[in-house]
Amino acid sequence: MKIRRVLQDPSFPSLLMLILLVVVNAIIQPEFFSFQVFRMNCMTFAPLILASLAQATVILVGAVDLSLGAGISLLTVVMASLMKDSAASIIGVTALGVCLALFLSLFNGFFFGYFGPPPLIMTFATSTMWFGISLLIMPTPGGYIPATYYGIYSKTVGGFLPVPVIVLLVAIAFCLLLGRLKAFRHLYAVGGSERAALASGINVASIKIFAFLISGVFTALAALCVVGQTATGDARSGQGFTLNSVAAAVIGGISFSGGKGNYAGAIFGGIILGLLTNIIYFANITSFYQEFMKGVIIIVALLFGALPRLRRALLPSREVVR
Amino acid sequence: MKVLEAKGIRKTFAGVRALCDANFSLLAGEVCGLVGANGSGKTTFARIVSGLLIPDGGELRLYGQPVDLRSHLHAELYRMAMVHQNLSLVSEMTIWENIVLGREETGPLTFLNNRKAIAQAEMVLDAISVKIPVRERVKNLSPDEKQLVEIGKALAKDPRILILDEPTASLDFQQVESLFRAVRKLKERSVSIIFISHRLWEITEICDRLVAFRNGETMGQLDFASQPRDERLIIPLITGQELRERARKDASLREQEISHKGAGGPALEMRGVSLDDRLCEVSLTLRRGEILGLGGLQGQGQEEILMILAGYLKGHTGEIFVNGKLVPLRNTRHAIRQGIALIPGDRHKEGLFLEHTVLSNLLYPKISLHRGSFLLPMGRYQKLAADAIHTVSVEPRNPRLIVSQLSGGNQQKIVVAKWLALSPGILLMNDATKGVDVATRQNLYAMISLLAENGMSVILYASDNEELIDNCDRVLIVFEGRIVKEIGAEEISDEKLVIFSLNIEHSGEKAAVAGPQG
Repeated sequence: MKIRRVLQDPSFPSLLMLILLVVVNAIIQPEFFSFQVFRMNCMTFAPLILASLAQATVILVGAVDLSLGAGISLLTVVMASLMKDSAASIIGVTALGVCLALFLSLFNGFFFGYFGPPPLIMTFATSTMWFGISLLIMPTPGGYIPATYYGIYSKTVGGFLPVPVIVLLVAIAFCLLLGRLKAFRHLYAVGGSERAALASGINVASIKIFAFLISGVFTALAALCVVGQTATGDARSGQGFTLNSVAAAVIGGISFSGGKGNYAGAIFGGIILGLLTNIIYFANITSFYQEFMKGVIIIVALLFGALPRLRRALLPSREVVR
Repeated sequence: MKVLEAKGIRKTFAGVRALCDANFSLLAGEVCGLVGANGSGKTTFARIVSGLLIPDGGELRLYGQPVDLRSHLHAELYRMAMVHQNLSLVSEMTIWENIVLGREETGPLTFLNNRKAIAQAEMVLDAISVKIPVRERVKNLSPDEKQLVEIGKALAKDPRILILDEPTASLDFQQVESLFRAVRKLKERSVSIIFISHRLWEITEICDRLVAFRNGETMGQLDFASQPRDERLIIPLITGQELRERARKDASLREQEISHKGAGGPALEMRGVSLDDRLCEVSLTLRRGEILGLGGLQGQGQEEILMILAGYLKGHTGEIFVNGKLVPLRNTRHAIRQGIALIPGDRHKEGLFLEHTVLSNLLYPKISLHRGSFLLPMGRYQKLAADAIHTVSVEPRNPRLIVSQLSGGNQQKIVVAKWLALSPGILLMNDATKGVDVATRQNLYAMISLLAENGMSVILYASDNEELIDNCDRVLIVFEGRIVKEIGAEEISDEKLVIFSLNIEHSGEKAAVAGPQG
């Protein structure tokens, strides 16, 4: 019964894919299982995993957020231009960054929830806005991030817990908490069938805003990690995250039409994309081919998503109970 | 005691009158049928009573008190619940999640209390004797199970008045029976029920009384306590005219006609067609000018047969001959080129482009077949469309209207017209009159049988046995992917259809399964 539930979980194909990639990666990168490599991987993967969680939330409610990457860029720019060496400043600016992330997602959520424009175009528009503001603040990459801040990001607590892992654990704990909230259940209902949600007396607009707000929390965490990793503000630093996060969510078995899938899939998808870059690097593929290969492998990963259909054909269907 | 009383309810939508003088009353613990053609205002009325629409005028009383319902939630305060015609379930969620959806009880810190919710869902389903595991996802349920869950969802609100809006539209008779058992259970618990349906036998079977609407007005009522449960008494209330006697020719005469036309060989032949575990060695012959019915319980493989013939389903084995020629039927275009047209049952999904005009909807299949000139001969096409609109008598006769503005019956007429415009040799009907009112249905079938007399062959699948009885020259019963029985024209009757559908002819269980009319 339990096994069947795991097999039928929408994120299951991505788990298989993940295991496969870990094996491949371990073969071509001899020290893959060493603590040092693990720490480095966590540091590089954490932002994309968090961005995937943010994107997953929005996709689950039946929308998509193209402004996610530009939002991350804007946060790095703002933080890099304001942060000073004092502890108060580091804490204050970090808090400000989180608030700004929530504000940006609230802005998206408000318009999407109350006026219902196509989210694709709507968030494309806001992404251009965020990008414009970032350029205005910081036309060229730069700014200042105190060593204390990015030092923390590469620290290891207690000799075995790298800080990025702690950030991810916090995010996972947040996911688990969300799973027990009424609003989160309603988020799936709205994504699954907006009409049914309406008929059940659910306030659809506020659930949509809620979804964007949650996504803002993850975006904020992602941006904090990016700043810790790059230690600069860059109006283009977030660009890659937008579509990579969408790809990660979809690879992770989250239905693009909403209402189906879960956070586990988004996490798997994020790690898969990270490992892909790793593998391509260690396989000594010419850098010209790297992007091309990545695309090919993403398509393969998406085909993996077609597994549920195969599985349905293979597993016997439920007996009709009367 | 009257739990609900409506007097002179009026409602107008953007200049179109939906209700002008609707009167209705409901007694405690009774099941009252609400009948009427498509567009007669039944659903509008139900939506007003359940607070989804605010009427323009009239008086509504609940439990003797005049009320002014402002919203869905407001109506729920008066313990009123509606089971929606288009299911309001989220298919990716489990049954219990759906049942408590929107009314989740939250514990401290607003965490969900799943255990309590599951228990509540189980209790609610138990009350209507439904035995489905509540942890199952709704997408895995059959249509009748979904309908029962939908009722369960309404019951979770503990209503005293329950409105069922066409709960049986996509159910076969056995599934209807399980629904009726649930309705009777509710009646015992003195829930008052408004039952909306197009199928008259259901009304006579389950209702204590019925009220008929026509063009937004109450036309009259029948109380089965004093009047016989006879469908013929109901039809005049709905259509406003006496029912034409079934325009069916004598079976033997039809037989002669068909065999006369059949000289050139059958129009279609399937030999040993199988499709993984869904169809097994299906062989059938469709003669020219014949209307062949596919009967049986829902989901036994009838739709698969039609879908294979229409080129939707791939991967079947066996041979299919059209006009004596072996054809591959690998995709829908192949099928259309062979002169095979499928009229789908779910017009919203497969039949129509709802936001396009009547004209373009009618022309899509035609245009897809166009070859030769670079530009489309639009002048000719428009005339063709006008003819088609005329043939099926769509009202209003304006090809520039957007389809979604038309009533349900008219929309379905357009689905039919669209395929007839191709003048197909073989017409497949997949429960094509689902949710279509009696009068429109009769129109459509009169048209189909006329075309059949002119040589078109028809395979008709209907979940409503009556349609098979009224229209088919022959009925094949499908059971678990096989054709288990052929019933000739002389013998088609409801009882036979029911017995053979269950494929229990020899097991002596006949008595246990009373026909829905019997």
